[in-house]
Amino acid sequence: MGSISQLLNTARDALTAQSYGLSVTGQNLANVNTAGYVRREALLETRALGTQTTGTVQATGLRRITDQFLERRQYESTGLSSAAQEHDQRLASLEALFNDPSGSGLGSAVGALFNSFSALAANPSDTTVRQNVLDSASALSQRVNDTANTIAQSRADLLHDAQTTTSQINESAQAIARLNAQISSAEAQGHDAADLKDQRNRLLLDLASKVDVRTINSSGSIVVQVSGTTLVDGADARQLSVDLDSEGKLKILASRDGGQATDVTQFLTGGSLAGIRETRDVDLFAVAKKLDAFVFDVATAVNQQHQQGFGLDGGTGRDIFDVSTVPEGAARALKVSADVFGKPEALGASGSAATVPGGSGNAALLSALSEMPIVFGNSRSVGQAYGDIVGDVASRKASSASMLESRQAISAQIDAMHQAMSGVSLDEEFVNLTKFQRAYEASARVLTTADELLQELINRVGR
Amino acid sequence: MRVTDGMRYTDVQRNLARLQSENADASQKATTGLRIANPSDDPIGAAELARLQASLGNASAHRDTIKAVRGDAELAESTLAQATEIMTRAKEIAMQGANDSLSADDRKALATEAQNLKSGLLQLANTRGSKGYIFAGSQTDQKAFDVNGLFQGDDVEQTVDVGSSTPTPVSASGAKAFTSAGGRDVFADLDALASALSNDDRAGIAASIDQVDASQKQIITERARNGLTVSKLDSTDSVLDQLGTDLGKRQADVGAADPFEAYSRMTVLGQSLQRAVQVSRQILDTTSYWNR
Repeated sequence: MGSISQLLNTARDALTAQSYGLSVTGQNLANVNTAGYVRREALLETRALGTQTTGTVQATGLRRITDQFLERRQYESTGLSSAAQEHDQRLASLEALFNDPSGSGLGSAVGALFNSFSALAANPSDTTVRQNVLDSASALSQRVNDTANTIAQSRADLLHDAQTTTSQINESAQAIARLNAQISSAEAQGHDAADLKDQRNRLLLDLASKVDVRTINSSGSIVVQVSGTTLVDGADARQLSVDLDSEGKLKILASRDGGQATDVTQFLTGGSLAGIRETRDVDLFAVAKKLDAFVFDVATAVNQQHQQGFGLDGGTGRDIFDVSTVPEGAARALKVSADVFGKPEALGASGSAATVPGGSGNAALLSALSEMPIVFGNSRSVGQAYGDIVGDVASRKASSASMLESRQAISAQIDAMHQAMSGVSLDEEFVNLTKFQRAYEASARVLTTADELLQELINRVGR
Repeated sequence: MRVTDGMRYTDVQRNLARLQSENADASQKATTGLRIANPSDDPIGAAELARLQASLGNASAHRDTIKAVRGDAELAESTLAQATEIMTRAKEIAMQGANDSLSADDRKALATEAQNLKSGLLQLANTRGSKGYIFAGSQTDQKAFDVNGLFQGDDVEQTVDVGSSTPTPVSASGAKAFTSAGGRDVFADLDALASALSNDDRAGIAASIDQVDASQKQIITERARNGLTVSKLDSTDSVLDQLGTDLGKRQADVGAADPFEAYSRMTVLGQSLQRAVQVSRQILDTTSYWNR
């Protein structure tokens, strides 16, 4: 049998529980735009006091509406999408180096040199024409140096960015390790630690944008694996660092303080760090190598032909370019040879000493080199080879753009699935708000009724 | 599916960003007229454009070369024509001199004219073009013949690259036109004629007729060869002109945007963007329903 005091207790518990429901709804509404926030649900249940039926309610805590499987998919898709985005953005800068519709690019500079040889053959003793050959050779050297230096500088910048990114990864790892400890401790004390878990989620998402992340839940704590190695285990965090291998390529190392480092480079698949590595050590490396081979072949062929010619001063065996003995580094080192620099008369236009100054045989042969297969193992002409380089860079960029598009689409889909489960819906929360508000008002009404009943009782009995 | 506000905002942002990006792309194509603004828009097309640009540059340089050498070749042509006329006159003098009715004094007068013809021919043989003495072979910085008609040049032809597999010769040969390298020493023949006329040497005069005739034929032969060079340059130039036009067309086919298509795409995307903005506003408005 119920009593008025029991009714009061029921009303009291109901007010507390509905108030808790309002509080949780408020939390959801407050965090509708908070990254990493997982919507919460107040857990209400009837309070059991032994075998007696009281029908009162109690709030037992809250539940974070999430799915570990979806979270893991989200980390993975974020990592792949970030890697593709980083890769695509960096390649856009490379592409700009080989985009010369305005006619001021490397292709035009190469063309201008051979055109100047053609003009020299037409007018072999003219000093202005000779000076134009030297100017074209200087312009080509400068353009080649600029292009190669920009690629080299990009690689240096990417090394620096890789180091900065690993520092950020290490900071995130330590923060996650700290949160792991705090969450374990909070849960041991019976708290839900929802805010701490949200923080950890946000950090994990941020970490996933920098490196590929896999998580394993382990009794409140989370084990974080990156690039096939454990970065965070409970309250313990390892560190990533960057080094260079013998080819100057990035080496990503994982280690504990003072411990032995493990090379995890080959397992790096996601996050901006993977994008940085791929751009720096695959694309820029290959394009720089191709540019070196192109410059080496062109400069060597021009030198070999020019050595056959005779200058206005009768000199022969001279080079037009100073070029390295091997293709590696040829583009950065290319410059006009001291043999001819500032000496237009030294250019070997004539085919023999006897045919100076009007002989143009060698200049005509130099000009003809532009259409001969002298590049890439004597398989491509200068124009074809430059077209190959442009096509190669363009293909890399186009493929990275297509990869970015597909990965972003997948990532968006996973994000939408995650949002559908864990995101806050204002519509729902407004309904919940009304639901708990009405319940609170009704409970207050119960309290008022109980109070009136008591008042009535006191008034009647007290007379 | 449960739809949250975050999803609505993200969808709206993503769709608007995509439409804006496509709109910007279409505007760029319509305003620049370029189909390939970045090489990655069409890697194969971009590579072809780079190769076409190289070929166009070569064709243009070859045409410039032809322009640069054609002037001297034409000058050689007109000079050799004048030289032929001088030799015609020399032949007339020789035939006149062989006439029995002429006195020794008359022949002396013809000898003086023959000497003048030689001087005139010497002047023609020492004609200067844009690159120096046009009949001196490679020795363009010195006169082809000295005052006595002695050849100081060589028989080296100037060659240029006009896109053929081998360098193309473009200069007239003074050696072949005027010296024994062509068969006859033209100046020696004129000297012999003047000398025979001056000495009233009838047999010498009779012999000179054939010699001067052979010398004239030699000059005519070189003139014909030079005319062939000019004609070859002209035909190469028109081939290169056509090639340039073809390459330019191909360049436009590969790299240029169809203006009508580009403009209509820009218009369609612009309208899509406007509609998307209106729809987005409605989508976002529904979220504030509960606030009303």
